[in-house]
Amino acid sequence: MKHQITGAVMMAALAWSGLARAEEFSLWVRSDGSEYMPKLVDAFNAKGEHTAKLQIVTTDELVQKYAIASAGGSAPDALSLDLIYTPAFAEAGQLKDMTDFAKSLDYFDSLSKAHLSVATFEDRIYGLPFSGDASILLWNKDLYEKAGLDPEKGPKSWAEIEDQARTIAGLGDDIYGFYFSGQCGGCAIFTFAPLIWASGGDLLQENGRKATLTDPKMVAAVEFYRGMVEDGLVPAGAETDGGTNFFSAFANGNIGIAPSGSFAIGALDNRYPDLNFGVTFLPGQTEGEWSSFAGGDNIVISHGTPDEKVSAIEAFIQFAYSLEGQTILANNGVVPVRGDIAKEALKDLDDRYAISAEAMAGGHTPYTTLFNDLINSRNGPWITALSAAWFASSADKAKAALEAGEEEMQSIIDSAN
Amino acid sequence: MQQMADSPLPEPTPRRSQRSGWMGLVYLSPALFLVAVFFLLPVGMTIWMSLHDWPLIGKARWIGIANYTRLWGDARFWDALWFTVQYTFAATIGLLGVAFALALMVQREGRAVAFYRTAYFLPVVTGFASASLLWVWLANVDSGLFSPAADALGLTDGRVNLLASFTPAFLLVTIMVVWKMAGFYMIILMSGLQAIPSDYREAARIDGAGRMQRFRWITMPLVRQPFALALILCVSSSMLAFDQFYIILSGGPHNQTVTAVYKIFNESFVSFRLGYGAALSMVLLAILMVLSVIQLILLRDREPGK
Repeated sequence: MKHQITGAVMMAALAWSGLARAEEFSLWVRSDGSEYMPKLVDAFNAKGEHTAKLQIVTTDELVQKYAIASAGGSAPDALSLDLIYTPAFAEAGQLKDMTDFAKSLDYFDSLSKAHLSVATFEDRIYGLPFSGDASILLWNKDLYEKAGLDPEKGPKSWAEIEDQARTIAGLGDDIYGFYFSGQCGGCAIFTFAPLIWASGGDLLQENGRKATLTDPKMVAAVEFYRGMVEDGLVPAGAETDGGTNFFSAFANGNIGIAPSGSFAIGALDNRYPDLNFGVTFLPGQTEGEWSSFAGGDNIVISHGTPDEKVSAIEAFIQFAYSLEGQTILANNGVVPVRGDIAKEALKDLDDRYAISAEAMAGGHTPYTTLFNDLINSRNGPWITALSAAWFASSADKAKAALEAGEEEMQSIIDSAN
Repeated sequence: MQQMADSPLPEPTPRRSQRSGWMGLVYLSPALFLVAVFFLLPVGMTIWMSLHDWPLIGKARWIGIANYTRLWGDARFWDALWFTVQYTFAATIGLLGVAFALALMVQREGRAVAFYRTAYFLPVVTGFASASLLWVWLANVDSGLFSPAADALGLTDGRVNLLASFTPAFLLVTIMVVWKMAGFYMIILMSGLQAIPSDYREAARIDGAGRMQRFRWITMPLVRQPFALALILCVSSSMLAFDQFYIILSGGPHNQTVTAVYKIFNESFVSFRLGYGAALSMVLLAILMVLSVIQLILLRDREPGK
């Protein structure tokens, strides 16, 4: 019944937008979306109403390419943009105001709040949730079984992670309890920050205007990682991993526990079918607490896109929000961004996917227009401080590194305002 | 010869030199055009950008010399520049030392010599990015070559992550650059060595000069010019180092290996401040020009009699 109603709403929406003549619009997506986006676009184009021309751009180069295209007057009409860049793009005046369209959607209230929070700039909405990627914790069930742990029960607190990692590391020289990429700012905000959020701390406060790297929960979380490094539960290569092994380290099968993202569930199932793993939430310091980085893409419209193309883009967005669209996305490893039909879209998939959808719904996205400068940069204060602290030889040195990082972050924030 | 004898007498000198002046300009114009389009124009653009607050996305805003006053107090840029100078020093000594030794070894003719010459030159033809990626693997502590090998041979107590502390990481990159580029400078120096007429050495030998004396008083002064060329190329390319530090070390450990160009890249494409990046580029260009002039003066051939 529900299915039919949603279908009818969608048909009505398509019929309405179909009153305008068929339009062709260009659409960019970062290469992380190369699994689901072509399938979604093909299904949309098959409807015969409008045509989306898809171009896939390397993830690392998307912002630069967009900027160059925009300066040369050839920006794509629409763009599936890593949500953390939405504030910076909106502030620079590159995006069209989508507030009226967004508010006109019946299901506006069930769209991912985390996406919308970063898409809102000065009370106007400049982007709509498109794809979801939540951070979660993976554990290797085969290694758990070998080590005599219950393979069906993942760790539920920091202490449990450490205990279980220690037991697994005892299995042999080439087997390690835990893995994380020690030189990768993007990986750290995605998988390490949720440990702090879950415990009630934060790294940026007051809408991104105050850096709080010395938050007691942050210090505690750093000590938790530092302890595991010091005890040899983490492979030595982690210290200099800039993100290349973020996915593959766990995939190789000799790591007990690793924080990762929902994208990894599908990727591991497809590429490493023999790996037997479980999915759970990234826990807080005490049992029962958890959090997640609600990541993914917002879909945005370039400032210069002509009005007649906007309605075609809106039809595409509505198609993506339909049950058909959400199911295509879910089947390709994307967490659905429309909460009211997420269960239905995920019904053919196992409950590991349901966990990532729940993580997404309870997730958190830091708001800052300086995300690249502060967090993502390989030489930014976030990863520089963390890496020095995780691999420090004493708790005092770790604390000092965090203090230096906080100061540096604050000075970048202050000089930008 | 015949043609020359038949041709009429030359025109009076002034008119002729004027015409050939114009002709010279015509002949030069393709080169001038290329220099203008590919050097002067971009430099002009860079200067123009450096006077703006020019974000990667959004509108540029004229701010005069504010970027230049800001860089004056930017300790990170001066740190990066100081690191680049240290690296240039290490790389130049390593490169020219090894290249000179190789050049002395391969300057003679022969089949085996040709083989070694090719072998030493081979790393030069691989790109910096692919060579760096190869060394990333070689230096990997878990699955690479150096650390596990040193551990297996008992040289180190357990595996050491070479990339995790400054000295081994810096040495590793410098050695990689020497391995990759020494062949190139070897060719330059070798051609210089081969251009020395053998009469000089023979004459010196007849006069009773020893091997070291011949090297010091004949070879060294006569390779001065190709050596100057190699030195200038080496210093300017080392001052512009980027790929190897970006790919192998990501500027780590703890941002200690961020070079000047790396800093410019970060400002322009990570922090999206193209204007500020342009101002830093201008400073680097000025420094490079000064360095080249100094080297040219130091290595200028002394005039006869001095």
